Amino acid sequence: MLKSTIVDTRVRLVPSKTLLEFLDSQKEHFKKVPENVAKLMKNEGYILPLSTQIVKEQELNIKRPNIDRALLRRLTADVSEEPEPAPAKPIGKKNKKAAKDKKATEEVMEDEEHPTEYNNVLYLTDMHWLNDTLIQLRKDGISNIFLYELIESSDLLLPENEMKPRNPDLEARCERLRAEQHNREYHKMTKNVDAGLKHYPEDTIAYQIKSLNKQIIAVVQFVFSVAAGFTFGFFGVNLMVGPLPFGFRILLGVIVALIIALAEMYFLAKKLHEYDEVLDAPKRMQQTAPKARGERVPPAATSGVQALKPHAD
Amino acid sequence: MVAEKVEKEAAGQLLDAMYLDLFHLIEEHTQCKVNLERANASGAILLARTRFQAGGSNSVSKAQIPTENSAEFNALCRVIKAKDENEINIERHAVDRANGYVEPLHWFSVLPPMSLRHAVTKFRDCIELVAESTNLQRQLTDVLCWISKLRQSVLQQ
Repeated sequence: MLKSTIVDTRVRLVPSKTLLEFLDSQKEHFKKVPENVAKLMKNEGYILPLSTQIVKEQELNIKRPNIDRALLRRLTADVSEEPEPAPAKPIGKKNKKAAKDKKATEEVMEDEEHPTEYNNVLYLTDMHWLNDTLIQLRKDGISNIFLYELIESSDLLLPENEMKPRNPDLEARCERLRAEQHNREYHKMTKNVDAGLKHYPEDTIAYQIKSLNKQIIAVVQFVFSVAAGFTFGFFGVNLMVGPLPFGFRILLGVIVALIIALAEMYFLAKKLHEYDEVLDAPKRMQQTAPKARGERVPPAATSGVQALKPHAD
Repeated sequence: MVAEKVEKEAAGQLLDAMYLDLFHLIEEHTQCKVNLERANASGAILLARTRFQAGGSNSVSKAQIPTENSAEFNALCRVIKAKDENEINIERHAVDRANGYVEPLHWFSVLPPMSLRHAVTKFRDCIELVAESTNLQRQLTDVLCWISKLRQSVLQQ
């Protein structure tokens, strides 16, 4: 099993019964409700009054709240430096949260099966809306409840990595490549023991020259055509038009050679680009499928090379 | 009585704000880690590409990194404390051969290939992201600590 990239970085909150009941009981006082909350309430079987306006999430402001540090210090001045839930703190946010939620959650969650897939969750925007609404309700004297009282009985879902099994194709390919590598190493080790293996094809000069041949041909072609261009400019034009001054002949030769060099360069660049394409194949694959990147790239990289190699040659 | 109520209201609002802040921090921290993972992965791929292009596994290898017996040199990149006590910053020094600030890229080749240069920038980004992530983590711990304290004080009232 491999961990894949976190796709959804949002914090999710599974609303508890208390929270849902509160939402239900106060629904007449809501003027605006975010889309997600409306959906959630519908799914849970609560009906919103018709007058309620459903707003898109982008319309709500979600800024990090400003915390009044001075007030915070003043309020916590009488609390001892070593609070009793402290041991839970260094273990991690999740544990602490879980520990804190446990007592409340147990009562709520006991009767229902713990589902792995949560459909009805509150996001950060919804919590902001809830907070704003609660502030309004407290101001109007309708209710005297705080957000922390509502959410402390709810479950917090932290963003988690999805576990994905390793692609069997990739596994098979890796296995094959590893075997090839080992085979090669073995041959290298044993070639001076067994006379029959002495002339392993990859060791001969002919093999190496053959593999270099293509590049050499391209370069020789380039040099040859440039030289031919120069010769034409230097001798050919002179023969056709009649005697020309030496300097002018050289100039002509250089100009013709330059034109041919440029044209050849274009083809050479194209060839090199093709070679580069082979190397770039995994990169392009990555751009088209960024989500499944961690998993898909290795097979694509090798298969891309394999598929394109004869073409590049 | 009224003062107590006002106090309680303020404490409750503060606690709510802290919880929201906590959620924001968790999200930011996660996003930061995802970015870090992404930058690191693309850096690693570029490094692999460099080795593939240069041919063979000996082209850009561990053996070229200075060992204990090599000449001394200064670090180009340092972790320093930011103005805010609780935060850290990354300090970078310009390459300066005379004073012992060497360019690590030149250990591998005099003319490093493009992909290696790109890999270097990616890994540099990684360091910045690590620092950012650390800062966020510290803020997170801070907020958690404050929340637990504040909860106690609210419960006492």
